[in-house]
Amino acid sequence: MVGLAGLSADSVRVAARSPGSDRSTPGGRRRRLREAALSAGMLAPAVLVYTVMTVVPVVVALYLSLTDWNGFSSAAFVGLDNYARLFDDPDTARAGVVTVIVACFGSVGMLGLGLVYALQLKERNWANSFFRTLAYYPHVISSLILGFLWSAILGTNGAINNSLADLGVGPVGFLFDENLAVITLVGVVVWAGFGFNVVLFVAGLQTVPRELVEAAQIDGASRRQINRRIVIPMIAPVVTVAMVLDLVGLIKVYDIVVSLTGGGPAGATETIAYVILTQSFAGTDVGFATAQAVGLMVACAALSVAVTALRNRQDRAAAS
Amino acid sequence: MTLNPRAGARRPSPVRAALLTLLFAVMSVPVYLLLVNSFKPRQDIQNSPFSLPFAGISLDHLSAAVQSPQYNVLKSYGFTLALVVAVDLLCVLFAGPAAYVIARSLKRRTQLLLLFFLAGTFIPASALVVPLIHVLRAIGLGNTVTGLILHDVAMTLPVSIFLFVGFIRTVPRDIDRAAAIDGAGRLRTYWQVIFPLTRPAVITVLILNSIGIWNDFISPQILLSPGSGTYTVTTAVYAGISQYSTDMTKVFPNLLLAVAPVIVFFVHMQRHIISGLTVGALKG
Repeated sequence: MVGLAGLSADSVRVAARSPGSDRSTPGGRRRRLREAALSAGMLAPAVLVYTVMTVVPVVVALYLSLTDWNGFSSAAFVGLDNYARLFDDPDTARAGVVTVIVACFGSVGMLGLGLVYALQLKERNWANSFFRTLAYYPHVISSLILGFLWSAILGTNGAINNSLADLGVGPVGFLFDENLAVITLVGVVVWAGFGFNVVLFVAGLQTVPRELVEAAQIDGASRRQINRRIVIPMIAPVVTVAMVLDLVGLIKVYDIVVSLTGGGPAGATETIAYVILTQSFAGTDVGFATAQAVGLMVACAALSVAVTALRNRQDRAAAS
Repeated sequence: MTLNPRAGARRPSPVRAALLTLLFAVMSVPVYLLLVNSFKPRQDIQNSPFSLPFAGISLDHLSAAVQSPQYNVLKSYGFTLALVVAVDLLCVLFAGPAAYVIARSLKRRTQLLLLFFLAGTFIPASALVVPLIHVLRAIGLGNTVTGLILHDVAMTLPVSIFLFVGFIRTVPRDIDRAAAIDGAGRLRTYWQVIFPLTRPAVITVLILNSIGIWNDFISPQILLSPGSGTYTVTTAVYAGISQYSTDMTKVFPNLLLAVAPVIVFFVHMQRHIISGLTVGALKG
């Protein structure tokens, strides 16, 4: 900041000596052209990398999804056939159902637990800070690693089943019973993700004016009434943001499926992203794989836009 | 001062006590199991997974994992770190000047560029890599580290540019004019005057990107074939566990090696990381 202060003092002196030097000089026009070229140059690397690595693949995916390309020979145009197959293909349909279950129940669990613990941990003190960190830490660890860790705990040969065997209780199929495996997947996803919501909600709760809560206390409101009528409505915008993040995060869940269940048992926990990357991607049906990919992109974008629009309307309603 | 909400927090209610006990158990048990079982002989992992390693701490399996010739997690630290540094550098190098031009431009066209970049945040990597691999092959970057780096940079650009633009707009334009009058060009104005002023945003972006790249599994798994012999921490763990899936004497030490650097980094930089990731998520 010292250097900055010196700089502005200097420039004030220079500016005072030659007022409006930029526009009036004959070189001004050429200089503005050079500035424009320089601006373009400063934008170019980012625009180029982003275009080649993100925009072009999306366009290519849109094109390939309309063909029957197998990766080698020339591609024939097949119209929307691949998209029609998305709904007929039993694997894709089942994965779609699993994805929706994980996204919905996972989000509800993460939001619910996030809210419950945020209300407990909102005051600033070292104990709360410790518990918040404890809830949060999985967020910085790769979900692939978290999935492997939980599968080492819940697997047939895992810590819990080994201990249960000592008690003479048969193995519990956390990961090998078709229904239980989906519940386990949701549980691990919630375990890994609710701490982030706790931190978001605590940040929101700390902005709730204390006078408002005190006024309600004077009026004799119970703690529960205060939470339900004042605090939670006031942090509604933060809850909506968290909901978008959770839903969009879970609709593309992949890593944790790979490591926790490997899609099993018998494909019961395969999600859309898992089917795309492990089956379609490896196969030669590029047209169908890209149609699935486009479907996932559209779902993510639609979800974000829909929930954000909803939130904007809510905000406007709250403001008026 | 009985109205002070803190007064209520002094005597913990049974509900609070129960909730926090549950939280402590559910969050700490996995880490506890990971720690103790990394130092136990096979028999003890099998028979008493929850006990402390009373029967004697065994460093055999951990040192086996450290010295393992195949899928060595410790050796993958180097490549992963290099990847993180390369992506961080390129991202700041590209996003910074672009964000500066967007933030300072009065033209609508340039403003629309921000939306163009923001659209990228909607595209999940798991869907993008499917067509991307064909694009990379077409431009001769298929199965190369360069391709992976460029893809990672492209994935980090949208949020980085968004955060930079927001921050640069809070810096008064008078500072730019002052630098211009002193004879600095736009590029020099950005790097020497504006960039140092946006340090908080730079730190947020670096933390966000570093954690994201370090933990990323999809991109290195899909864009670098197993045959390339180059592994990040996540792909090394994956390749290893796919091979010895049920051998817990290998699973636990490898997971511990994978988690250790992140936990150490997290404990040291906790404040920055939590606020950085929160800001990144809220604005991105």
